[in-house]
Amino acid sequence: MARRAFASFSETLANPANRVQSYVSRSNDPYLNLSIEDHILRTSSPDSTVLFLYTNRPCVVIGRNQNPWTEVNLGILDAATRGGQAAKSTEPPAIGDVDLVRRRSGGGTVFHDEGNVNWSITCPRATFTRDLHAEMVVRALRKLGVDRARVNERHDIVLDQGHQKGAVEPSDTHRTPYTLRDGALPRPLKVSGSAYKLTRGRALHHATTLLASPNLHIIPQYLHSPAKPFIEAKGVDSVNSPVGNIGLAINIFQRHLQEEFTAMYGETSKHTIAEIVCEEHLNIPEIRKGYEELRTEEWMWSQTPQFTLTFHPSDHLEIEMNVHHGVIKAFDLKDDHQSTHTIRKIRTVLLEQRLQDIRGWNEFLRDHLEQWDEEAGIIADWLEKYMPILKLSKL
Amino acid sequence: MAARFSVARAARQLSSSAARRPSSRVTSPCQRWQAAAPVERRLFSVSAAVKEKKYTEDHEWIELSPDGKTCTFDTLGISSYAANQLGDVVYAELPKVDLEINAGDAIGAVESVKSASDILTPVGGKVTEINRVLEEKPGQLNKDPEGEGWIAKVEAAGEPEGKLMSKQEYTAFIEEA
Repeated sequence: MARRAFASFSETLANPANRVQSYVSRSNDPYLNLSIEDHILRTSSPDSTVLFLYTNRPCVVIGRNQNPWTEVNLGILDAATRGGQAAKSTEPPAIGDVDLVRRRSGGGTVFHDEGNVNWSITCPRATFTRDLHAEMVVRALRKLGVDRARVNERHDIVLDQGHQKGAVEPSDTHRTPYTLRDGALPRPLKVSGSAYKLTRGRALHHATTLLASPNLHIIPQYLHSPAKPFIEAKGVDSVNSPVGNIGLAINIFQRHLQEEFTAMYGETSKHTIAEIVCEEHLNIPEIRKGYEELRTEEWMWSQTPQFTLTFHPSDHLEIEMNVHHGVIKAFDLKDDHQSTHTIRKIRTVLLEQRLQDIRGWNEFLRDHLEQWDEEAGIIADWLEKYMPILKLSKL
Repeated sequence: MAARFSVARAARQLSSSAARRPSSRVTSPCQRWQAAAPVERRLFSVSAAVKEKKYTEDHEWIELSPDGKTCTFDTLGISSYAANQLGDVVYAELPKVDLEINAGDAIGAVESVKSASDILTPVGGKVTEINRVLEEKPGQLNKDPEGEGWIAKVEAAGEPEGKLMSKQEYTAFIEEA
């Protein structure tokens, strides 16, 4: 019985008759919701347009081609996952467990929690533009009285903060009466960030929507990495923006967004499917496969674009470490004639080593070095502090 | 048009069935071409069609190089149209050399304007070379997608799959879309 229900999710998605489909997730598991979304992208029929809404438990979500060490303050995530023992020695209040997730779409790092609704639209690539559905969401917000909402030049949604009310064409989703000229203060507050995944014939646009996050004041602590100044990374850097809450209840926003979606697509078709998905969808083999892929160490650490870490663990040491596909390819003193016995030993141990197999730098180096000295300790401590390699919890 | 396309296909089938011969695995592929001179010569007469760049419906291009140096190594990339549609490419995710691939696989992805787009290969085989320049300068993909911005070279292990179009057919295809 249950099995048939899951099979029918894939069949419903793939059925060409269902040109307009709308789903809401009851799960707050970011890995599951991203995997259901990916399944929609891969399975839905070529001409269909599918809305999917979900809210995740607190997590930091990095873009496909980003570096977790430069984007995320991994030390406080770690403190959170280790719970009570570590909490006393680390500064921030900690929200509790905060998952670290690498998504399949491009773009920058975002924070999710229970006050954030993620909306996603999967549609034919031929009709897709990067603004099309952000504009749809702005229309929904304006109907809810959020008259400062507009789509900005980065395809995100912001709330304008201007004091004067100017004259603007009401249907213009890229301008509000409060829009100021570029760069003028106060800056608009970002409330929704977009990212995309494009495949054969299909386009996925997904975005956050900050409705009522209780964590706005802590988010910057999670997204500012102490290691960033030491890392030169290929790939994609996040663009920092001031963020704000829209101040709407989740269910009201979801309902209005579904209505706006139906207004945009539904009237041309009487076959609008609206369903709820949940944890049980993990029994669909394709969804489980995607779910497990997202939770691998490979995907989290080794997908990181090539980077070079340059650090001074002490006054007379400057070390350069290069990492490619998650594997240490170089570990050298910048000034080679100073090379010490310890450095040479550490280099031998670390070269060709996968980061994901180093659980703790101290432990790893102590296990692999025959002799331990002060210099090794200084290097291990520095790496432990700035380059933590978290155990992905609950794997 | 259709006739020319089928000639190209027939020629491709010939060249790829040659590639599948066990002996070609032992000797170097280049020697094989010399040893099979009569076949090569026959192929050569239609090679204008064979060497022609072909395009997929997913906007990748593929170029077979039966020039005696690279033999059955196909060069892959994305079309100018695709590069233009993507906008500024900020990162190219390339496959690893020696990666075994099947026709239709995503062998990499490019990121532009917050979008990750798969690069699909129309041909299976093994990745022999990647364009390392793209690691430093992903912008090459916008500047010269069908030349300096090639993505990978593949030692083909069979025929390309899916619909392949000539430049002319492809131009008609994108105008239609």
